[in-house]
Amino acid sequence: MTTEDSIKQIMSTYLKTSYGDMSNDAVLTDMVAESFVLIEMLMSLQDELGVIINQEDIQHVATIGDLVKVFVEKGAAAQ
Amino acid sequence: MNDNDNEDWILSFYRFSEITGALFFGRLAKVLPAGEIQRDMTKHFADESLHAWYWTKTLSEMGKKPVHIGDAYQDQYLESVGIPTNIMEILAITNVFECRVIAQYALHNRVPDLNPVITSAFDTIMADEKWHIKWIGDALKSLEPKFGKDHIDATLDRYRKADREIYGKIIVEHQERIEHILDVKKKKSV
Repeated sequence: MTTEDSIKQIMSTYLKTSYGDMSNDAVLTDMVAESFVLIEMLMSLQDELGVIINQEDIQHVATIGDLVKVFVEKGAAAQ
Repeated sequence: MNDNDNEDWILSFYRFSEITGALFFGRLAKVLPAGEIQRDMTKHFADESLHAWYWTKTLSEMGKKPVHIGDAYQDQYLESVGIPTNIMEILAITNVFECRVIAQYALHNRVPDLNPVITSAFDTIMADEKWHIKWIGDALKSLEPKFGKDHIDATLDRYRKADREIYGKIIVEHQERIEHILDVKKKKSV
Protein backbone atom coordinates (compact mmCIF):
# COMPACT_ATOMS: atom_id res chain seq x y z
CA MET A 1 0.00 0.00 0.00
CA THR A 2 1.40 3.43 -0.97
CA THR A 3 1.49 6.40 1.38
CA GLU A 4 -1.32 7.93 -0.65
CA ASP A 5 -3.43 4.80 -0.15
CA SER A 6 -2.75 4.81 3.60
CA ILE A 7 -3.84 8.45 3.85
CA LYS A 8 -7.02 7.75 1.90
CA GLN A 9 -7.72 4.70 4.02
CA ILE A 10 -7.68 6.83 7.18
CA MET A 11 -9.71 9.57 5.51
CA SER A 12 -12.40 7.15 4.41
CA THR A 13 -13.27 6.36 8.02
CA TYR A 14 -14.25 10.02 8.53
CA LEU A 15 -15.76 10.92 5.17
CA LYS A 16 -19.12 9.82 3.86
CA THR A 17 -17.64 7.51 1.25
CA SER A 18 -15.90 4.15 1.04
CA TYR A 19 -12.19 3.89 0.31
CA GLY A 20 -12.84 2.51 -3.17
CA ASP A 21 -15.11 5.39 -4.10
CA MET A 22 -12.77 8.19 -3.07
CA SER A 23 -12.10 10.59 -5.90
CA ASN A 24 -9.25 13.08 -5.77
CA ASP A 25 -11.62 15.74 -7.08
CA ALA A 26 -14.22 15.32 -4.33
CA VAL A 27 -14.65 18.47 -2.23
CA LEU A 28 -13.95 17.76 1.44
CA THR A 29 -16.61 20.05 2.88
CA ASP A 30 -19.23 18.26 0.77
CA MET A 31 -18.29 14.97 2.37
CA VAL A 32 -18.82 15.80 6.03
CA ALA A 33 -21.92 16.81 7.91
CA GLU A 34 -20.00 19.30 10.07
CA SER A 35 -16.57 20.86 10.29
CA PHE A 36 -15.63 19.07 13.51
CA VAL A 37 -15.31 15.81 11.54
CA LEU A 38 -12.55 17.47 9.51
CA ILE A 39 -10.77 18.49 12.73
CA GLU A 40 -10.97 14.90 14.01
CA MET A 41 -9.73 13.58 10.67
CA LEU A 42 -6.77 15.97 10.54
CA MET A 43 -5.74 15.10 14.09
CA SER A 44 -6.02 11.38 13.35
CA LEU A 45 -3.96 11.69 10.14
CA GLN A 46 -1.20 13.56 11.98
CA ASP A 47 -1.21 11.02 14.77
CA GLU A 48 -1.08 8.03 12.42
CA LEU A 49 1.49 9.49 10.05
CA GLY A 50 3.66 11.15 12.69
CA VAL A 51 3.64 14.58 11.06
CA ILE A 52 2.44 18.01 12.15
CA ILE A 53 0.43 20.28 9.90
CA ASN A 54 -0.90 23.75 10.60
CA GLN A 55 -3.52 26.06 9.13
CA GLU A 56 -1.09 27.58 6.65
CA ASP A 57 -0.53 24.11 5.16
CA ILE A 58 -4.20 23.62 4.36
CA GLN A 59 -5.27 27.13 3.43
CA HIS A 60 -5.58 26.18 -0.25
CA VAL A 61 -6.91 22.67 0.33
CA ALA A 62 -10.36 22.02 -1.09
CA THR A 63 -10.39 18.43 -2.34
CA ILE A 64 -9.33 14.99 -1.19
CA GLY A 65 -6.44 15.12 -3.65
CA ASP A 66 -5.25 18.47 -2.25
CA LEU A 67 -5.17 17.12 1.30
CA VAL A 68 -3.48 13.87 0.34
CA LYS A 69 -0.77 15.93 -1.39
CA VAL A 70 -0.18 17.98 1.79
CA PHE A 71 0.30 14.86 3.90
CA VAL A 72 2.47 13.11 1.31
CA GLU A 73 4.74 16.16 1.11
CA LYS A 74 4.83 16.58 4.89
CA GLY A 75 5.66 12.91 5.29
CA ALA A 76 8.45 13.13 2.73
CA ALA A 77 9.84 16.26 4.36
CA ALA A 78 9.85 14.56 7.76
CA GLN A 79 11.94 11.62 6.49
CA MET B 1 -37.50 45.40 21.60
CA ASN B 2 -37.65 46.13 25.37
CA ASP B 3 -35.01 45.67 28.09
CA ASN B 4 -36.49 42.34 29.15
CA ASP B 5 -36.20 40.96 25.61
CA ASN B 6 -32.59 42.16 25.46
CA GLU B 7 -31.79 40.44 28.72
CA ASP B 8 -33.45 37.21 27.57
CA TRP B 9 -31.40 37.33 24.41
CA ILE B 10 -28.00 37.95 26.02
CA LEU B 11 -28.49 35.28 28.71
CA SER B 12 -29.68 32.86 26.03
CA PHE B 13 -26.61 33.78 23.97
CA TYR B 14 -24.36 32.92 26.94
CA ARG B 15 -26.23 29.65 27.44
CA PHE B 16 -25.95 28.70 23.78
CA SER B 17 -22.29 29.59 23.69
CA GLU B 18 -21.55 27.42 26.75
CA ILE B 19 -23.44 24.50 25.18
CA THR B 20 -21.51 24.90 21.94
CA GLY B 21 -18.24 24.96 23.91
CA ALA B 22 -19.22 21.89 25.90
CA LEU B 23 -20.04 19.90 22.78
CA PHE B 24 -16.77 20.93 21.13
CA PHE B 25 -14.60 20.11 24.15
CA GLY B 26 -16.49 16.90 24.83
CA ARG B 27 -15.78 15.60 21.36
CA LEU B 28 -12.16 16.67 21.63
CA ALA B 29 -11.84 14.93 24.99
CA LYS B 30 -13.01 11.76 23.26
CA VAL B 31 -10.30 11.80 20.60
CA LEU B 32 -7.29 13.24 22.46
CA PRO B 33 -4.58 10.82 23.55
CA ALA B 34 -4.35 10.12 27.28
CA GLY B 35 -2.41 12.69 29.27
CA GLU B 36 -2.69 16.00 31.10
CA ILE B 37 -4.29 17.82 28.17
CA GLN B 38 -6.94 15.14 27.85
CA ARG B 39 -7.58 15.26 31.62
CA ASP B 40 -7.96 19.05 31.73
CA MET B 41 -9.95 19.17 28.50
CA THR B 42 -12.42 16.72 30.05
CA LYS B 43 -12.80 18.97 33.11
CA HIS B 44 -13.20 21.97 30.81
CA PHE B 45 -15.97 20.09 28.95
CA ALA B 46 -17.71 19.36 32.27
CA ASP B 47 -17.43 23.03 33.34
CA GLU B 48 -18.93 24.34 30.12
CA SER B 49 -21.86 21.92 30.47
CA LEU B 50 -22.41 23.12 34.00
CA HIS B 51 -22.25 26.76 32.90
CA ALA B 52 -24.93 26.08 30.30
CA TRP B 53 -27.04 24.68 33.11
CA TYR B 54 -26.36 27.75 35.31
CA TRP B 55 -27.64 30.04 32.56
CA THR B 56 -30.65 27.83 31.94
CA LYS B 57 -31.39 27.84 35.68
CA THR B 58 -30.84 31.60 35.88
CA LEU B 59 -33.35 32.20 33.10
CA SER B 60 -35.79 29.83 34.77
CA GLU B 61 -35.43 31.53 38.17
CA MET B 62 -36.15 34.85 36.49
CA GLY B 63 -39.33 33.37 35.02
CA LYS B 64 -37.87 33.37 31.49
CA LYS B 65 -37.21 30.80 28.79
CA PRO B 66 -34.14 30.56 26.56
CA VAL B 67 -34.71 32.14 23.17
CA HIS B 68 -33.45 30.68 19.90
CA ILE B 69 -29.94 31.71 18.96
CA GLY B 70 -28.78 31.06 15.41
CA ASP B 71 -24.99 30.99 15.58
CA ALA B 72 -22.70 30.69 18.56
CA TYR B 73 -19.68 32.98 18.90
CA GLN B 74 -17.47 29.95 18.28
CA ASP B 75 -19.11 29.28 14.89
CA GLN B 76 -18.03 32.73 13.77
CA TYR B 77 -14.46 31.96 14.86
CA LEU B 78 -14.29 28.90 12.64
CA GLU B 79 -15.79 30.85 9.76
CA SER B 80 -13.28 33.62 10.20
CA VAL B 81 -10.03 31.79 10.92
CA GLY B 82 -10.75 28.39 9.39
CA ILE B 83 -10.71 25.07 11.19
CA PRO B 84 -7.83 24.45 13.59
CA THR B 85 -5.64 21.58 12.42
CA ASN B 86 -3.77 20.46 15.53
CA ILE B 87 -4.00 20.54 19.31
CA MET B 88 -1.87 23.69 19.60
CA GLU B 89 -4.18 25.65 17.30
CA ILE B 90 -7.23 24.31 19.13
CA LEU B 91 -5.82 25.43 22.47
CA ALA B 92 -4.73 28.80 21.08
CA ILE B 93 -8.18 29.55 19.67
CA THR B 94 -9.73 28.40 22.95
CA ASN B 95 -7.40 30.63 24.95
CA VAL B 96 -8.39 33.69 22.94
CA PHE B 97 -12.05 32.76 23.17
CA GLU B 98 -11.90 32.24 26.94
CA CYS B 99 -10.25 35.64 27.41
CA ARG B 100 -13.11 37.19 25.47
CA VAL B 101 -15.66 35.33 27.61
CA ILE B 102 -14.06 36.53 30.85
CA ALA B 103 -13.92 40.12 29.60
CA GLN B 104 -17.54 39.99 28.47
CA TYR B 105 -18.80 38.42 31.71
CA ALA B 106 -16.80 40.88 33.84
CA LEU B 107 -18.20 43.80 31.87
CA HIS B 108 -21.77 42.57 32.13
CA ASN B 109 -21.34 41.87 35.84
CA ARG B 110 -20.60 45.58 36.36
CA VAL B 111 -24.00 46.67 35.03
CA PRO B 112 -25.69 48.56 37.89
CA ASP B 113 -28.69 46.98 39.63
CA LEU B 114 -28.11 43.62 38.00
CA ASN B 115 -30.47 40.89 39.15
CA PRO B 116 -28.68 39.02 41.99
CA VAL B 117 -29.48 35.73 40.27
CA ILE B 118 -27.38 36.85 37.29
CA THR B 119 -24.57 38.15 39.53
CA SER B 120 -24.47 34.84 41.35
CA ALA B 121 -24.15 32.93 38.05
CA PHE B 122 -21.35 35.24 36.90
CA ASP B 123 -19.43 34.83 40.17
CA THR B 124 -19.63 31.04 40.00
CA ILE B 125 -18.73 30.81 36.32
CA MET B 126 -15.88 33.34 36.48
CA ALA B 127 -13.98 31.22 38.99
CA ASP B 128 -14.02 28.33 36.51
CA GLU B 129 -13.11 30.58 33.58
CA LYS B 130 -9.96 31.74 35.36
CA TRP B 131 -8.89 28.12 35.73
CA HIS B 132 -9.62 27.56 32.03
CA ILE B 133 -7.20 30.33 31.09
CA LYS B 134 -4.57 28.87 33.40
CA TRP B 135 -4.73 25.26 32.23
CA ILE B 136 -4.72 26.25 28.58
CA GLY B 137 -1.74 28.55 29.18
CA ASP B 138 0.10 25.70 30.91
CA ALA B 139 -0.79 23.30 28.10
CA LEU B 140 0.44 25.71 25.42
CA LYS B 141 3.68 26.10 27.36
CA SER B 142 4.06 22.31 27.44
CA LEU B 143 3.70 22.25 23.63
CA GLU B 144 6.53 24.75 23.03
CA PRO B 145 9.17 22.06 22.39
CA LYS B 146 6.94 20.49 19.73
CA PHE B 147 5.56 23.59 17.98
CA GLY B 148 8.02 26.33 18.93
CA LYS B 149 7.29 29.32 21.16
CA ASP B 150 7.44 31.82 18.29
CA HIS B 151 4.96 29.82 16.24
CA ILE B 152 2.57 29.54 19.19
CA ASP B 153 2.83 33.28 19.89
CA ALA B 154 2.21 34.10 16.22
CA THR B 155 -0.82 31.80 16.20
CA LEU B 156 -2.22 33.49 19.32
CA ASP B 157 -1.68 36.92 17.74
CA ARG B 158 -3.51 35.84 14.58
CA TYR B 159 -6.48 34.57 16.57
CA ARG B 160 -6.58 37.69 18.78
CA LYS B 161 -6.80 39.83 15.66
CA ALA B 162 -9.67 37.68 14.36
CA ASP B 163 -11.37 37.86 17.75
CA ARG B 164 -11.32 41.65 17.75
CA GLU B 165 -12.92 41.68 14.30
CA ILE B 166 -15.60 39.13 15.26
CA TYR B 167 -16.43 40.92 18.51
CA GLY B 168 -16.63 44.23 16.65
CA LYS B 169 -19.10 42.72 14.20
CA ILE B 170 -21.22 41.28 17.00
CA ILE B 171 -21.36 44.66 18.72
CA VAL B 172 -22.53 46.31 15.52
CA GLU B 173 -25.05 43.54 14.79
CA HIS B 174 -26.52 43.38 18.29
CA GLN B 175 -25.92 46.94 19.49
CA GLU B 176 -29.48 47.42 20.70
CA ARG B 177 -29.48 44.14 22.59
CA ILE B 178 -26.27 44.81 24.49
CA GLU B 179 -26.47 48.57 24.81
CA HIS B 180 -26.89 48.44 28.59
CA ILE B 181 -23.62 46.51 28.80
CA LEU B 182 -21.81 48.78 26.37
CA ASP B 183 -22.83 51.79 28.48
CA VAL B 184 -20.73 50.40 31.31
CA LYS B 185 -17.75 50.16 28.98
CA LYS B 186 -18.21 53.73 27.79
CA LYS B 187 -18.38 55.06 31.36
CA LYS B 188 -15.32 53.03 32.29
CA SER B 189 -13.27 54.48 29.43
CA VAL B 190 -14.23 58.12 30.20
